[in-house]
Amino acid sequence: MDIYEKLKALRELGLAKIKETTDEKTLNQVRVELIGKKSELIGMLHSLGDLAPEERKEVGQKVNEIRDLFLELLAKTQKEMAERILQAKIESERIDVTLPGKHHQVGASHPISVILEDLENLFTNMGYHVVQGPEVETDHYVFEMMNLPKDHPARDMQETFYINSERLLRSQTSGDQARVLEKWDFSKGPLKMVGPGKVYRRDDDDATHSHQFMQMEGLVVDKNISMADLKGTLELIAKHEFGADRETRLRPSYFPFTEPSVEMDVSCFNCDGKGCSICKQTGWIEVLGAGMVHPNVLENAGVDSSIYSGFAFGVGLDRFAILKYGVDDIRDFYTNDVRFLKQFRKEEQ
Amino acid sequence: MLVSYNWLKYYVDPKLSPADLAEKLTRTGVEIAEVKEPMAGMKKLVVGEILTAEDVPDTHLHKTTVDVGEAEPLNIVCGAPNVEVGTKVIVALHGAKIAGGHKIKRGKIRGMESEGMLCGLQEIGFSESVVPKKYADGIFVYPEHSDVKVGDEVFESLGMTDHILDFDITPNRADTLSMEGAAYEVGAATGSEVKTEPVVLKEDGEKFDDLKIRCDEKLAPRFYMRKVTGVKVGESPLWMQTRLWNAGIRPINNVVDITNYVMLITGQPMHAYDAKVFNGQMEIRLAKAGEKLTLLNDQELELDPQDIVITDGQKPVMLAGVMGGKNSEVEDDTTDVYLEAAVFDSTLVRKAALRHANRTEASSRFEKGVNWDNVEKAINMAALLLRNEAGGTVLAGKIVASDTEKQVPVVKTTVSFINKSLGSDISADEMAKIFKQLNFEAAFSGDDIAVTIPLRRWDISIPADLVEEVGRIYGYDNLVSQTPVLPEVKGGFSEEETKRRRVKRFVQGQGLLEAISYTLTTEEKATLYTKEVKPVIKIAMPLNVAREALRQNLMTGLVDSASYNYARKETEWAIYEQGRVYDKQDGFQEHEHIAALYSGHVYATNWEHAEEKIDFYYVKGQLEELFASLGIKNVEYRPEAIPGMHKTRTAGIYIDGQYLGFVGMLDQLVLHKDKPLKGAELYGYELDLDLLGQFQVSGTESKPAPKFPAIERDLSILVSESTLNATVENIIAEHGGKYLNNVQVIDVYDGVGIPEGKKSLAYKLTFLNEHDTLTDDQVVKAMDEITSQLASQISAEIR
Repeated sequence: MDIYEKLKALRELGLAKIKETTDEKTLNQVRVELIGKKSELIGMLHSLGDLAPEERKEVGQKVNEIRDLFLELLAKTQKEMAERILQAKIESERIDVTLPGKHHQVGASHPISVILEDLENLFTNMGYHVVQGPEVETDHYVFEMMNLPKDHPARDMQETFYINSERLLRSQTSGDQARVLEKWDFSKGPLKMVGPGKVYRRDDDDATHSHQFMQMEGLVVDKNISMADLKGTLELIAKHEFGADRETRLRPSYFPFTEPSVEMDVSCFNCDGKGCSICKQTGWIEVLGAGMVHPNVLENAGVDSSIYSGFAFGVGLDRFAILKYGVDDIRDFYTNDVRFLKQFRKEEQ
Repeated sequence: MLVSYNWLKYYVDPKLSPADLAEKLTRTGVEIAEVKEPMAGMKKLVVGEILTAEDVPDTHLHKTTVDVGEAEPLNIVCGAPNVEVGTKVIVALHGAKIAGGHKIKRGKIRGMESEGMLCGLQEIGFSESVVPKKYADGIFVYPEHSDVKVGDEVFESLGMTDHILDFDITPNRADTLSMEGAAYEVGAATGSEVKTEPVVLKEDGEKFDDLKIRCDEKLAPRFYMRKVTGVKVGESPLWMQTRLWNAGIRPINNVVDITNYVMLITGQPMHAYDAKVFNGQMEIRLAKAGEKLTLLNDQELELDPQDIVITDGQKPVMLAGVMGGKNSEVEDDTTDVYLEAAVFDSTLVRKAALRHANRTEASSRFEKGVNWDNVEKAINMAALLLRNEAGGTVLAGKIVASDTEKQVPVVKTTVSFINKSLGSDISADEMAKIFKQLNFEAAFSGDDIAVTIPLRRWDISIPADLVEEVGRIYGYDNLVSQTPVLPEVKGGFSEEETKRRRVKRFVQGQGLLEAISYTLTTEEKATLYTKEVKPVIKIAMPLNVAREALRQNLMTGLVDSASYNYARKETEWAIYEQGRVYDKQDGFQEHEHIAALYSGHVYATNWEHAEEKIDFYYVKGQLEELFASLGIKNVEYRPEAIPGMHKTRTAGIYIDGQYLGFVGMLDQLVLHKDKPLKGAELYGYELDLDLLGQFQVSGTESKPAPKFPAIERDLSILVSESTLNATVENIIAEHGGKYLNNVQVIDVYDGVGIPEGKKSLAYKLTFLNEHDTLTDDQVVKAMDEITSQLASQISAEIR
């Protein structure tokens, strides 16, 4: 057999071996066997010296060709093998994607916080400050400054938890108004504030009464504030909270710290004003109280009521939450049943 | 105040249906809570006359025949005790509908045929509280001489063909607590003219001079008295009874009914005394300590020295402005009556009514004020009615024991002020029209307005009050709606609030549900879960002991919520609360806290993995993440005993040596007292947010991420069992050199192979030079220092 035939035979044999190899380990053996240092093919390179010079070059080239061919094929085969293995692995890793996922607890804001923060965003975006005052307040700020002198009959409307003759758990957030008004420097701009917080009244807890609840007070004072400004602001609140398609009405009312005083009703969102059990057949639902700041309140805080005027409003956050989420027992807000609280996860946090 | 639409029309023509009038009044002044039509839902109720009645043996029943104006009388079986032949009664015919939607049908009662039903007032929709006592347990019987015919429908004669408007007044509008006042309000709202008639009283007796009245003018600024003799006490005429019960007042007898009737018309509370009780003496004074009085409703009072009383010169006979005394009550045998119309001090009356828990129609009017103009009219009207309806003789003259002058106020304002306040452009003419509608005298001069306020509107005294009057009659619906046009100012939250929100958001992101619980709790709970109990703020008159003290911790509220949830088998949750705690350490203090409580498992039990219980380290990990996110370093955890918390599984948390709060397991000894929480494993923490806020870093100064690789070394040591990890970590941190970047515990072991009294701790130490490649030498040097210090300071054996 001349050297060319031998090369041809090695080539054929090598190709056949590579082809019949099925696993990576054997493939490595085949690689050593075919193109390792001790392989017949590579051995031929070492014995090139035995050949005539013209043959030397040709055989050397041929050997290299075959080696490259083997290398290429080996690489290709290895790649295919790896892919096949991976394929098989992937196949073996099949899972049931319909089994449930793993869960952590998911948090949620309390519904009253949801309402509060939503309103705070509305007002801070309009340039209002959020002000928080003490809950253990003085009689002076909660009542006297708010035009409710001792023995005022309206003090009956809000039976109060007194701590001593001067200190009490505030029955309204209005005290924050007085505290801010007293200090406000009108040369630096109009006063625009909202004051949210807990308030307390001597009520026995039942489905519609709670001895503790949340209010948000609003106050705007400057030189030319009118009822028209109040009306527009209240409508904004009502439509923001209860929907742009709600109708609103203002009713005369009475609060010692405002004059005139009004309450706002929105058309019932359950029956759309036709009359149902939620609106007690009136078609309207009372949502908040408001009015023009009573001149005595301004004067008590050292603000000249002949120059400045203002409006104030008070929102019951529990009431808003009750109306907005259809809650029928105010105690649900304070017992913290997790099944109740979890419902509010979908609200903006 | 319940206002009869039919009666109202006597004073003013509303020109509106009852429902439309209610809407109009609600929008202009007084909220009408409800409009009721008494006969709604009733039918086939007629007047019948009982022709025969016989007792059915061995039962309480009566077998009657009743003439209902048909050819044949009806056979009706009736169980009422007051069935009497010859009386006119209410008969529900076959097919009738009575209260509650019940239908009456012919049928058999104990085998006896009954072709209808004799009715009590309650059965045809009347409230128990207005039914005359004598008919309370039986059927209603028309008073003798009532102008009714057998067979007529009963609705008109009983005042049921009416609409009753419920005036839900605010305290300033007590002027509408009378028919005349309501009429003026209707007139103002609708523009209709109001007609009230003066009383023309004919005195026909001798001069009234048998009573000496001593009156303290401060207690009763007006006090008028008349005497009517020869009164025959009996049932009031039906027309008066119907007006009373439609107004929610129970008819009693003609004398009492007349005082109530006059009060309904004028708003002036009246009282009638049996004159024979007095020996020519009467006094209006404050009660003396120890004095007692039994009221008409049998309530026995220990009088307070701030109660105004009327006396017979010796003993109290009436709690002035609230209710009369039993000892001067007008009874069936009364013949001579003293009639009182007075104005009492509103504050004292209000406090007396509150003190004795006896708020009456009279006291609720006095406390809000009455129309001083009506005192005389009321007393004359009552005397006239006693003469006409009770056969009395009105003695000549009245005793005026006090008659304080009251000025008619004139309030001055301007057209422009009203318009500026309302944001409106109402002309002077229009305003003049509005004041006319209100029946106020208003003098216009250029921009100026001077309004004379009638005494019936004692709520009006300042220009802002006139703004309201003009605004409400003009109609708030007609006002422009705008938001204030003001110089722009920047709003927003305080820095503290912004920081608190950051914490809330983070904690919520960790999966906690926000809870809100009560500030008021028991004194015991108020001071649990608190490292240093401070003086507790307590309510002077708590509603109950469960709400007597202001909490000094939030945890107690969360534990209450835990109990509520455990009782409902809800045990997989984590909740938190952000709120205030209160004490009076140095004056009254309020601090913002946050507390969290965890129950159950880290993961809900899953088909794939075993459940992992929440434990101390899970909760601590959550806190560590919180602190890291807030940029807070130097947090130290020390074993700490906190009341209510597990003694050996609770850490005090310190920042720079200051106590911030605690984290740990809830003490099961404490939880055991609460049945649903028996055996519960709860973990939680509570932090002082005011203090935390001081360490909260706001703003970030960014650095590039390190470009050089870190080197890690493991360190395993053997130490005594009582050695705290913190001690080891502190030594490592102190002696690890400037390139020590992180220390992480990777193993704690005291099992097989570890000598008694020892434990093995393993740490992964990370070294990093942010600016250059670390050399092995540097790390080796640091490790040598660490190990030698551990060995010398805590006798650690390096493994």
